[in-house]
Amino acid sequence: MKVFRRNKMLVLLAVTALVGFGVFAFPHEDPIDFNTQVKPIINKKCISCHGGVKQQSGFSLLFKEEAMAATKSGKPAIIPGNPDDSEFIKRLLAKDTEERMPYKHEALSDEEINIFKKWIKQGAKWGEHWAYLPVKEVEVPTDGANWAHNALDRFIYQKLEDAELKPSKEADRATLLRRVSLDLIGIAPPETLAKTYLDNADSNKAYEQLVDTLLASPAFGEKWASMWLDVARYADTKGYESDGPRNIWKYRDWVIRAFNDDKPYDQFITEQIAGDFYVNPTDEQYIATAFHRNSMTNDEGGTNNEEYRVAAVIDRINTTWEGLLSTTFACVQCHSHPYDPIKHDEYYKFMAYFNNSRDEDLPTEYPLLKQFKPDMDAKLNQLTTWLKENVSQEKSREIYKFLKTGQPTINSTTTDSLRNAVIGSNNIALYFRNHGEARIAAVDLNRVDQMLYHFASKVSGGRMQLHLDRADGPVFASWNVQAKEGYQIQAVNFPMQQGVHDVYITYQNASKDKGDAILVFFDWFYFTDQFPGKGKIGYAEQQKNFWTLLEAEPASATPIMVENPQNRQRKTFVFERGAWTSPGKEVQADVPAAFKYAMPKDAPKNRMGLAMWLTDERNPLLSRTMVNRLWEQLFGTGIVETLEDMGTQGMEPTHRELLDYLSWQFMHNYKWSMKRLIKELVMSATYRQDSRISDELKEKDLFNKLYARGPRIRLSAEQLRDQLLSVSMALSPEMYGKGVMPWQPEGIWNSPYNSAKWENATDDDRYRRAVYTYWKRSAPYPSMITFDGAQRVVCNPRRIRTNTPLQALVTLNDSAYIDLARHFVDRMQQQKEQHVNEQIAQGYEWIMYKPIPAEKLKILSNLYQTAFDEYKKHPDRMTSLVGDKHKKNTESAALLVVANTMFNLDEVVTKN
Amino acid sequence: MTRDELNLHRLIKEANHTQLGAYTRRHFLKESAMGLGALAFGSLLGSCARPSNSTQQIVFDPAHPLLPKSPPFLGKAKSVIYLHMAGAPSQLELFDYKPELEKMSGQDCPESLLKGKKFAFITGVPKMLGPQAKFAQHGESRAWVSDNLPHFSTMVDEVSFLKAVTTDQFNHAPAQLLMHTGGARLGKPSMGSWVTYGLGTENQNLPGFVVLTSGGSFPDAGKSIWGSGFLPSVYQGVQCRSEGDPVLFINDPDGMDRDLRKATIDAINASNEQEYAYYNDPEILSRISQYEMAFRMQVTAPDVMNIDNEPQYIHDMYGTQPGKACFANNVLLARKLVEKGVRFVQLFDWGWDAHGDAPQNSLNIGLKNKCRSTDKPITALLLDLKQRGLLEETLVIWGGEFGRTPMLENRNGAANPYNGRDHHTEAFTMWMAGGGIKKGFTYGETDEIGYSAISGKVEAFDIQATILNQLGFDHEKFTYDFQGRPFRLTDVAGKVIHDIIA
Repeated sequence: MKVFRRNKMLVLLAVTALVGFGVFAFPHEDPIDFNTQVKPIINKKCISCHGGVKQQSGFSLLFKEEAMAATKSGKPAIIPGNPDDSEFIKRLLAKDTEERMPYKHEALSDEEINIFKKWIKQGAKWGEHWAYLPVKEVEVPTDGANWAHNALDRFIYQKLEDAELKPSKEADRATLLRRVSLDLIGIAPPETLAKTYLDNADSNKAYEQLVDTLLASPAFGEKWASMWLDVARYADTKGYESDGPRNIWKYRDWVIRAFNDDKPYDQFITEQIAGDFYVNPTDEQYIATAFHRNSMTNDEGGTNNEEYRVAAVIDRINTTWEGLLSTTFACVQCHSHPYDPIKHDEYYKFMAYFNNSRDEDLPTEYPLLKQFKPDMDAKLNQLTTWLKENVSQEKSREIYKFLKTGQPTINSTTTDSLRNAVIGSNNIALYFRNHGEARIAAVDLNRVDQMLYHFASKVSGGRMQLHLDRADGPVFASWNVQAKEGYQIQAVNFPMQQGVHDVYITYQNASKDKGDAILVFFDWFYFTDQFPGKGKIGYAEQQKNFWTLLEAEPASATPIMVENPQNRQRKTFVFERGAWTSPGKEVQADVPAAFKYAMPKDAPKNRMGLAMWLTDERNPLLSRTMVNRLWEQLFGTGIVETLEDMGTQGMEPTHRELLDYLSWQFMHNYKWSMKRLIKELVMSATYRQDSRISDELKEKDLFNKLYARGPRIRLSAEQLRDQLLSVSMALSPEMYGKGVMPWQPEGIWNSPYNSAKWENATDDDRYRRAVYTYWKRSAPYPSMITFDGAQRVVCNPRRIRTNTPLQALVTLNDSAYIDLARHFVDRMQQQKEQHVNEQIAQGYEWIMYKPIPAEKLKILSNLYQTAFDEYKKHPDRMTSLVGDKHKKNTESAALLVVANTMFNLDEVVTKN
Repeated sequence: MTRDELNLHRLIKEANHTQLGAYTRRHFLKESAMGLGALAFGSLLGSCARPSNSTQQIVFDPAHPLLPKSPPFLGKAKSVIYLHMAGAPSQLELFDYKPELEKMSGQDCPESLLKGKKFAFITGVPKMLGPQAKFAQHGESRAWVSDNLPHFSTMVDEVSFLKAVTTDQFNHAPAQLLMHTGGARLGKPSMGSWVTYGLGTENQNLPGFVVLTSGGSFPDAGKSIWGSGFLPSVYQGVQCRSEGDPVLFINDPDGMDRDLRKATIDAINASNEQEYAYYNDPEILSRISQYEMAFRMQVTAPDVMNIDNEPQYIHDMYGTQPGKACFANNVLLARKLVEKGVRFVQLFDWGWDAHGDAPQNSLNIGLKNKCRSTDKPITALLLDLKQRGLLEETLVIWGGEFGRTPMLENRNGAANPYNGRDHHTEAFTMWMAGGGIKKGFTYGETDEIGYSAISGKVEAFDIQATILNQLGFDHEKFTYDFQGRPFRLTDVAGKVIHDIIA
């Protein structure tokens, strides 16, 4: 609205200028603001030919230095202070259509041209986009004291005053109870909590107590995790083509716990970006890094692992920018950002941060964090303690890391110079025929006298050798292969070597002919030194422990990030036009120059350094992005509506100062506590307003951009399911664990080369919260996707709410919802109230916390009667409707029809 | 007579002997659209009476978002069937016959064709690859069609070929998005959404914009390719399944009959009207109309979406595979839907990405299989529409998201194991038929090896402009305000391809 008014003002100004003073005179002119007046015209009319993608005639308006530089003609197009001599203006006014800009497009309006002229006359000052400048402390407006509960409200009040609007009164308690419960814990509040709140005479105090209790509930994390899992593109499958299963649910549980523990957001981010960089990372810190192992992988036969490894790295870059920093970064992959100050090569500098993780798009998903059963954990503890005491801290850490993460091994898929050998399906593992040989390139053999390797060979009589530098080079290890069914790990010792060498591994089996049969399958190689501490007390026992742990089947294995060792670092290159097959110049890890000011001086050039930059107080985007995201969860729309883009192409913030105020508070006063920030939002008078829309608001602010009323939003897919689970008393209290499979129709899963089946749960897993639903990327749980659940193929920074008939069909007909209605009927019938109207009224109140309006009761009561008569006439239908496990009588069938109806009422699917 | 010819013969015979009037769309309108049908009918008549140069604004009525609206001028087409072959079919093996390329086959690609060009996979110097199919001229229009499409080659006199389509996107997802939403990045409404937004739909019992995928996988661009972008979500494509329930959850729960379902929906809406009286939120009105529509869909859709009740020879003609999610079934269903007044039917087939990296992705195996599974149904569709008098008012579009290179693909600098071609942006073939498009016409030409467009060059925006034009819209005036400015399907580009309009 505000923006609109300003535009009108501009028109007025321009017209005045034209009429009053003629085109070339601007006495007493207002200063032109680059960001709000000039940049929008550039973005709309000029930048597609003179910007990040194209620089026609050597002229670009993307960066200041480019805009002011000499063009192909040899002269700069813009001469600050002199619009009339600026070629830029001349070309806008040219008569000749070949000359006149925008080329072959509609001419700029007089108004637009005047803005440019004034801007140049005033010195062509370049402006930084607001969201790219550090967050500053904002002064809180003074008005609104009578209404405001906290500072947030003052900002809202100010804008309302500007628009001559008044805030709405506070919503009634029942509405507020339901609203804040669905928002904070995603389910109906426990009965006792609801009662305590509703019965407390001091409504203000009662509300705060309610909020505190909800924030402390373990259900809080289950609610808020969903939002983050969209950003993290968390799913239970790998994504591409066959879309096979991935065991990464521990990450989902980590997110739930992080919200429940109120892990400070800076730490929350640091652990996810760089958890593996901590000294002695805990399991939890490792699992946090699964954030970036949620990128898709491609197991399809014949695909190039490097291609999809690069694709995953690119996905990590885009997710980091779009999800954490509200910046659309993907376009910079191919060219400089068309609108925002990010250059092409800066994409690849940023890529260098992510380009050295060990994962290589393997079907095995290495590296995996192994979590052992308790007895094995005890052994591991013994072993590391013994190593610390008898060898060194460093060695203890190295062996711990190897046993926990299997790193830093060399994947057999990266071998080359193959003879009588092949990489299975081009992407699985190295296979040897008889007389097989392969090169393991550039192995650092300093202080190395052992190779461990994971392989399978069930053919006896084989002999392997390791050669230095050439396939026929000097043999430094030679041994007979012990044939065995299945994969095994073996160690080969050899004399200590020096230097970095290509190592060739060869295989001969005299008992076999030369042929196509595969005799050996390799998985990985690990060059190290022999188990240390020889001669110390306990050596034999600990060496045995080492092997027991190495061969132990872990309780779980979760994909995580582990960095390449220093001696096996990948180089990073600019990809010409974004194609990974066209590497250009080499680059070093760095953040875009426009944001470099936020990089701490001592930050290392790795993911930990990146995390330091992300969470630095000067970083302009991290805090703003999260504040905006949390705001959107509660109010339905972000302060910047485009959660994915706060750049110059994103939407203007409705309350920029408020966003900055909250972002500052978040970092400084709340010490990055998300619970404190959320509490601030829900405690506000703004949040607590009645959500009814007056005719005035309908006309002036239908979309509630000014917040003159409370949020009124359709529930999210998860809230919808979880609310009904909780009110029907079917909700399983179980938390965490593998994804579950509640009821879904046949024929939803349909991936090529994948026979995996959705097995409808028959136990309490049917009634787990939505966040635990198994998420298959190519075929997500249909009722949730219908209600705008995110597919999570890539980062989903924002869900767009829709309203479609297909949603109605879900809540009307989906068997899962009918089943919940059955439970709800059971609950209603357990009440002492005998009359059905009382049962219905009670049911309504369980959902809405307020009495059912008489008219609505009448509607439902009549419906009950209709249904009752129907089932009286057709008792056979009754059985199929109420199912096997519930009371079979006409009353329950009719009540079920009512429950099914109730579940579809607008107020039930909406947060009022 | 072969079986196909026999079926064809029978179809023609049937068409001649049937009262065509009984099958016109208006008949179905009267028959099936219930109360709102009358409104719809009235509105259609209105469109006949209105002067053709009218430039009325499109009014979005949240309570009745899909009621038929008349376009600014009288379009020749009333509905659209868009057949998208996701993965991008090779024009060089289907329509763009290049004997010169045959001569160069096996030679190194000249540097002039590689320098400064971007390809998805080609690196180094690939070999040229001649046509991997035999070509002949067909029909009175003497159009070249390869032996990959023996059935379709009998239909060339019904269609206009666009031989010089170009794009600037060489990856599937962005190129598909560009073709269907007018933007290579996510967030813009799809063509079907624009059309249902502008025209509503004639049958309120069915979704106005239906999407059918041939089993297998979704298109690369995912569901956003039929999303409503910034338009109200009611205009997004509704995916109908050819396996299981035609639309998920369309059947009532066991033990609840239709009357009772009607009673529940009446109760929901009566209650929601009170809710509206209290909250004054237009979203509630929208919900009321969604529930009305949900019920009408429940009544109508299962029957319409069931192709089983079509006669056997129709099944044979289309080459359907009962119970399966396949292209042929979808094509037959598309005809039924259009016949029943669905505005926009979008089909996606998959697996056309013939790189040569695997047999199913090769020109000599995979492509031929794809042709075999689509040639017959597409031919049947044109014939069937024609015989029912529907082709004139139904615009049919066929194409992929880009073309294929005249060079053999050499991924990572080495030849692929099978014959294949890389993604190519500079020239590919599409065709359009019906809906006021010229018959037996070819527009645009490529150079002698099919690398570049040399005349009659068109891009996605031009195709979109033409589709809108045939439906009665000036693409430059058909806008929706978003983020403070009017947006168009064709962004800032697009020219109607007048040459192919009859």
